[in-house]
Amino acid sequence: MSITLTMPRLSDTMEQGTIIKWNVQEGDEVASGAVVADIETDKATMEMQAYDDGVVAKILVGEGTQVPVGTAIALIAEDGEDPADIDAAPSAAAEAAQVDPTPETPEPSTPAAEAPTAPTPARSAPPASGPGRPRVSPVARRLAEEHGIDLGSLAGSGPGGRIIKRDVLAQVNAEPMAGTVETAVPVPLAAPTAVQEVPALESAAIEVSGMRQTIARRLVESKQTIPHYQVKMRFSMDALIDLRASLNEKLAAEEVKLSVNDFLVRACALAMAEHPMFNASWAGDRILAHRRVNVGVAVSLSEERGGGLVVATIRDANLKSLRMISAETRSLASKARDKGLTTEEMSDATFTISNLGMFGVDDFTAIINPPNSAILACGAAIEQPVVRDHQLAVGWEMAANLSLDHRVIDGAMAARYLATLKSMIEEPMRLLA
Amino acid sequence: MSERTLEFRDALREAMSQEMRANKRVFLLGEEVAEYDGAYKVSRGMLEEFGPQRIIDTPISESGFAGMAIGAAMMGLRPIVEFMSWSFSLVAADPILNNAPKMLYMSGGQFGCPIVFRGNDGAGGQLGSTHSWCVEGMYSNVPGLKMAIPAFADDAKGLLTTAIRDDDPVFFLESERLLALKGHVPEGEHLVPFGQALVRRSGDDVTIVSFGRPVHFCLEAAEALEAEGISCEVIDGRTIRPLDLDTIVRSVKKTNACVVVDQSWSFGSPGSEIAAQIHQACFDDLDNHVMRVHSADVPTPYAWNLEQEYLPNARRIAEAVRSALYVA
Repeated sequence: MSITLTMPRLSDTMEQGTIIKWNVQEGDEVASGAVVADIETDKATMEMQAYDDGVVAKILVGEGTQVPVGTAIALIAEDGEDPADIDAAPSAAAEAAQVDPTPETPEPSTPAAEAPTAPTPARSAPPASGPGRPRVSPVARRLAEEHGIDLGSLAGSGPGGRIIKRDVLAQVNAEPMAGTVETAVPVPLAAPTAVQEVPALESAAIEVSGMRQTIARRLVESKQTIPHYQVKMRFSMDALIDLRASLNEKLAAEEVKLSVNDFLVRACALAMAEHPMFNASWAGDRILAHRRVNVGVAVSLSEERGGGLVVATIRDANLKSLRMISAETRSLASKARDKGLTTEEMSDATFTISNLGMFGVDDFTAIINPPNSAILACGAAIEQPVVRDHQLAVGWEMAANLSLDHRVIDGAMAARYLATLKSMIEEPMRLLA
Repeated sequence: MSERTLEFRDALREAMSQEMRANKRVFLLGEEVAEYDGAYKVSRGMLEEFGPQRIIDTPISESGFAGMAIGAAMMGLRPIVEFMSWSFSLVAADPILNNAPKMLYMSGGQFGCPIVFRGNDGAGGQLGSTHSWCVEGMYSNVPGLKMAIPAFADDAKGLLTTAIRDDDPVFFLESERLLALKGHVPEGEHLVPFGQALVRRSGDDVTIVSFGRPVHFCLEAAEALEAEGISCEVIDGRTIRPLDLDTIVRSVKKTNACVVVDQSWSFGSPGSEIAAQIHQACFDDLDNHVMRVHSADVPTPYAWNLEQEYLPNARRIAEAVRSALYVA
């Protein structure tokens, strides 16, 4: 019996994947663990490993083709089988391969699909007690399947440890922080949007990448379901610019070059510790306050590589020095533009910063990156006439524009957060402590 | 349309009177329906309007007058039989169960039986165990009949009008405890189709299904549960046969939890049947098995306090809802 390779589910939200590249050809031998293909998901490009030894008998889905998760993409001949005898009967084979014989695992995923999935640290709950199948209410089972949640990872709160609807929903609500990646972020309005065939305009329909589709879907969802509003404050940047110049000069030998954004990341993270609702998510009927402070930094990708943007996560940003934040941001941004980030490097941000200052943008607003409750849009620090001590003077100013989820954060809370941020930015020595 | 308010009993009479004016074949018979205006004054004034040929006082012999009315129905009249209480219909079990619902089938379609049996059903308040029958459980078991059980005055008129026009035998279950209940009742022709349940209260957390008087217990429970943050959807089934399973299932798919409230005893009851049908229709949407609240499995007590506890009251419904939702 040949082995069917199917499109694996490489992230919790992945529904389809594109084969970017086959690393094997028909007739090649593969060993368990070998990377057979690169797969583009809705989040990232990831490697697909083989889990059996054998010979590639048939490649069923070519490079550049997008197929739903679970679709048969290749057939592997097992030991003793002649690859030439294996005929592509993909539908039957795929179905057979998808039937999971172990009742404990309701997800119809193949072994190959599970292993590469990013670890999900939040799933610390013990498996349902008792031998054999966990007890699960019917609707809980169905919801778990719909959301791709492993029932074995849940502790049931019903009688006898039965997993019930609220247990699954609690996991669903926690999930975006725990295991998945949220790539959606404010998009600069450079996206080609004309996809309708309007002959008079001679429009061309542009095929969009998985990433572009994700951006479109997630941002529409964000803008339509989150009650957004904006609160803006201007910060005097004189002290920070002086401090930055001085630090960069002294640390030049160590190849440290701090950006204004690095200061912002640290300031936002420290301010979040004082304002816990800025490190929280709306979860349907409750608010989840996160313990870890992970600041997402929006990174735009080059037009040549299809554009788009990703959010690189600076984990525990409140515990990191400026130098560490700077090095990590730089490394993640360059990796994002070069070969792409892993799921882990893009997941779990609890707050996002979008900075268009380097493009000379004065002031803009951003769309919240779910499940965050706030996003900070920063313009450039601009030298301009300012009033200082009742005198007209020349100073550096920057506009910081917060977009907020009113379900979690009210206007006065936003104002207090900005005041904290302002005090840190305007007295930047505090960021060195 | 004016918001005209009538008592439940007057809504019943309006349905009968309007149908009798419109169709000379319709007539009413039963114990004390004529000279005494009905034991519960449902037929007040009808003798004056329609005369003794169409408003007929019968001897105390349910088996006799029910059988006679079935014969009349087979010959083309449209009788309305009032049982002072459905408890008394038990002595007429043979004609009403063995003849009326089977006649069309057994006669190969030659004789239908367009008849309405109506009267008080359920505990009326300290009437003792022999006079407090809920016949839903026993009678709804029989194929060939229809069963309507209104909870509000407008439905009393609308469902009874539909019952009188229906060509099959309709078992029409009223409650002595609801006869004085007032509510808006449309003037003129008012028909409520059979097999269409009504969502009396919308909610998200649990579906409560009931019929007749217990619908009011459900609404009372829903009100109390709202204060606990539990949002109940209360469905008034209105007819047991035919049963509007669609409305129930639609609601359960939304709430994922269901409590069926039925004033009959639990064993072999409409409540057990509806629970079974829900499990069959939307098993994968349930977060818990369907809970049932019935009258206690004992003969109806006479003592007031015991009778109140015996009924599927609001407290017992609220307990079932919490249990269905795994709350405490």
